[in-house]
Amino acid sequence: MAKVDLTPAFLIHRRTFKDTSLLLDFLTLEHGRIRLVGRGLRNSKTQIQVFQHLKISYSGKGDLKSLTNWEADDTPRQLKGDNLILGMYVNELISRLLHDQDPHFELFEIYKSFVENLATINPLSSHWLLRLFEHNLLQELGYGVDFSQDITGEPIDLSAGYDYQHQGGFVRSVAGKILGKSINQLLINDINNMPDMQQLKVCRDLNRMRLKPLLGDKPLQSRSLFFSK
Amino acid sequence: MIESLNKAFCALPGVGSKTAQRFVYHLLERNRDGGFELAKALVDAMEHVQHCHSCRTLSEKTLCNICANTVRDDTQLCVVETPADIHAIEQSGAYKGKYFVLSGYLSPIDGIGASELGLDELEQKLQDKKVDEIILATNATVEGEVTAHYISNMAKQFDVQITRIAHGIPIGGELEYADINTIAHALSGRKNYD
Repeated sequence: MAKVDLTPAFLIHRRTFKDTSLLLDFLTLEHGRIRLVGRGLRNSKTQIQVFQHLKISYSGKGDLKSLTNWEADDTPRQLKGDNLILGMYVNELISRLLHDQDPHFELFEIYKSFVENLATINPLSSHWLLRLFEHNLLQELGYGVDFSQDITGEPIDLSAGYDYQHQGGFVRSVAGKILGKSINQLLINDINNMPDMQQLKVCRDLNRMRLKPLLGDKPLQSRSLFFSK
Repeated sequence: MIESLNKAFCALPGVGSKTAQRFVYHLLERNRDGGFELAKALVDAMEHVQHCHSCRTLSEKTLCNICANTVRDDTQLCVVETPADIHAIEQSGAYKGKYFVLSGYLSPIDGIGASELGLDELEQKLQDKKVDEIILATNATVEGEVTAHYISNMAKQFDVQITRIAHGIPIGGELEYADINTIAHALSGRKNYD
């Protein structure tokens, strides 16, 4: 792969590189996560933005290829406040969990709709949007479990309680905190069908449990950005 | 000796061994006095320049000139990312208050979270109740915005006005050539014409 022309992409992270260049991490539709160097981009009048649908061209022979051209294929999007932190959290997940140049076509579309929704969604629903993204990310990366039935093969009972067993699935339990209804809501994947606040927290804890083995000992820094005092 | 000087020059940003070699030969062959002066200035600066105890900018005294200046307004505190930002704002001559230097910004992917940035000193300053207005002058990048958001959440517990510097069309610039994100910001941050 010597040259790629105008492939759909999102910028995930940028950091300065030498005096005037930038190291740019992208999530692309066709080539998954890639790192490119944007020569002279630091001084550019028009800055490349995160959370914006872009088309990028790049070329090069070695491991680190150069961005040769980019254009925005999107309207400007200003994420603010807690929604901006949610966006950064998702970008941190992408950069921690995806391997370089491992394409995930579905995930690109999931990320695109997440970013589009995040800019317009009300603050209450934004956390449910995040839970659905985490769920879809895990399923897409191949760490999903069956959400339609429990570990014994019985269909999920909407009114029963369940516990989660890592990589196994759901175990029916009288003391189980995860309601069958919430498991079903994650499965249905509808932003308008949101659990109540208590079950939303249960879903958060469930996703944290599912993510923990993949993230290892290093905590996600963006979680510390939610100011709590 | 020549080799170690060459290596030492490579500590400068943007200087590789080739450029370092040019520096070394220039100083040794053509400008020994300049070399001595550079060496002395470097030793002086490295030994004596520290962080100002109040605003954390670089200073040769415990308190930098701005913090020590009693004429400047104590009630306004402008939060910036680097000492270079102070220099830029000072050149504009538009600000007469005091500063606070973060020495970085929040960047989760690079492993810089809230505790790594050390915002305790800033919180202490706000607790002292001298500040009426905190001006968030972090960069107009996503990281700068997140940093501003975090500090504003922290400052909300104190009785202080929180403001953010405006982003918009550069003076002398033409709308046609401004990028769409800047125009969107400029429009959403428009103010009454007076």
